[in-house]
Amino acid sequence: MALIRSVFQDELDGVSQSLVDLTQMVSASISKATTAILSADLKLAEEVIATDDHIDTFQHELDARIIDIIARQQPVASDLRALVTALRMSADLERMGDMSHHVAKIARLRHPGGAVPAELHPMFQAMGTAAEKIATKTGVVIATRDTVMSLEVERDDDEMDKLHRQLIGTLVDPSWKHGVESAIDLTLLGRYYERFADHAVSVSRRVYFLVTGTFA
Amino acid sequence: MNLNANENANQESGKTMTTSVQPSSLSSVASANPQRTESQRAQGTGLETRGIHAWFGKNHVLSDINLDFTAGSVTALIGPSGCGKSTFIRTINRMHEFIPGAAMAGEVLLDGKDVYAPGVDVTKIRLQIGMVFQKPNPFPSMTIGENVLSGLKLAQLKVDNKDDLLEECLIRAGLWTEVKDRLDTHGGALSGGQQQRLCIARALAVRPQVLLMDEPCSALDPGSTLRIEDTIRELSDTMTIVIVTHNMQQAARVSDYTAFFLSEGGPGHMIEVARTSEIFSQPKDQRTENYVTGRFG
Repeated sequence: MALIRSVFQDELDGVSQSLVDLTQMVSASISKATTAILSADLKLAEEVIATDDHIDTFQHELDARIIDIIARQQPVASDLRALVTALRMSADLERMGDMSHHVAKIARLRHPGGAVPAELHPMFQAMGTAAEKIATKTGVVIATRDTVMSLEVERDDDEMDKLHRQLIGTLVDPSWKHGVESAIDLTLLGRYYERFADHAVSVSRRVYFLVTGTFA
Repeated sequence: MNLNANENANQESGKTMTTSVQPSSLSSVASANPQRTESQRAQGTGLETRGIHAWFGKNHVLSDINLDFTAGSVTALIGPSGCGKSTFIRTINRMHEFIPGAAMAGEVLLDGKDVYAPGVDVTKIRLQIGMVFQKPNPFPSMTIGENVLSGLKLAQLKVDNKDDLLEECLIRAGLWTEVKDRLDTHGGALSGGQQQRLCIARALAVRPQVLLMDEPCSALDPGSTLRIEDTIRELSDTMTIVIVTHNMQQAARVSDYTAFFLSEGGPGHMIEVARTSEIFSQPKDQRTENYVTGRFG
């Protein structure tokens, strides 16, 4: 039979691994959602929407497990920080899944038409790629607890913010010719990608806190 | 604990033991609040240890312990078995020297005066620095009332109103409501948790400035433990408490400061002392972190 403390360590490692798994899930879901919105792919949009339920269930089970560990092991110091932080990170990651879900829902709503005009495809492709990369990097930050990399994620988010500003600039330009409905869709889509990246930054900051005990 | 240099600035000094014990106002007990700030703490004289070493024969068991205990604070001593915690508190009220072959060095300053100075009456020191042990040890054939007042009798102290003092001590020890109608029954007839609170009441009757507690709850059920922890919080308004405990949660709940002791194969020494919230959230030393998170010890 395993020693109590090694069981505890395994449980802590398991929580960390589940968070990494969540980052991979949301990275895949935003990637698919981007493809769905740019190619008006209904099947892929439905898949992203279904995956979000899976992400939600995964998060609920993870939170229940964390609460169970806190109740039974009464962790302190860095262990307590890791678990309380994990609870908050799981909420951020779940919200990132929601953002992918929202993108997919706009793809489904506008099907068989496309929500994104052709001239904006490169911009949304860039936002999609940035979102996917930032989620993947966040997973590495959680797995390695690399505080330098955790601060890098913040800089990666600057790229997303830049794209978002460009998008808003395009939409409010008097030369915009696709109408109000499209502008609303694109405003929301831009917001979803921007928020997705913000949640990743939040997760990375929490990793910094759990390692150092101070906020970056 | 003198983490803040100004904390002791207003302390009265040179207070000496009185030979007459008067019941004090009970209002301070009722208003006890675990969320006190430093300025709300009882201001009194402090306890300090300077360079405490201890030996059993040739075996050096404790090395160079320097601790300042702020008046009206609770300090928890934690550390694995054999790290010298109990030996340390037994040097504070001069119980260590009664073990054959035991020796010590260093100073224990109460009100700035060394309790080991030549000519100091050991019995009087123990009136000022009381102790509660791991196993409840009431005098089994004495009544509850006699138990509480036994210290006065042994020290031949006079008291104006014994009944008031008895009631006050039992209230402060959190036992009054359970025993007020049977003060004539024997101490041995009480439950373990009640006996321990009776021992606390007995220690209080001689009005100590300092109360040393050596794992006072380790033989008790969770309910009795919580009642004693409440008692510790309330008592700390008026006295300095040092508690040895192996229960991390207890240390985290009741103490203002925590000191971590470790032997590491040699004599026990102090690794770290800090506010309890710091020790249990962000200890500075990795060894402390490893101990409080249960990774060794």
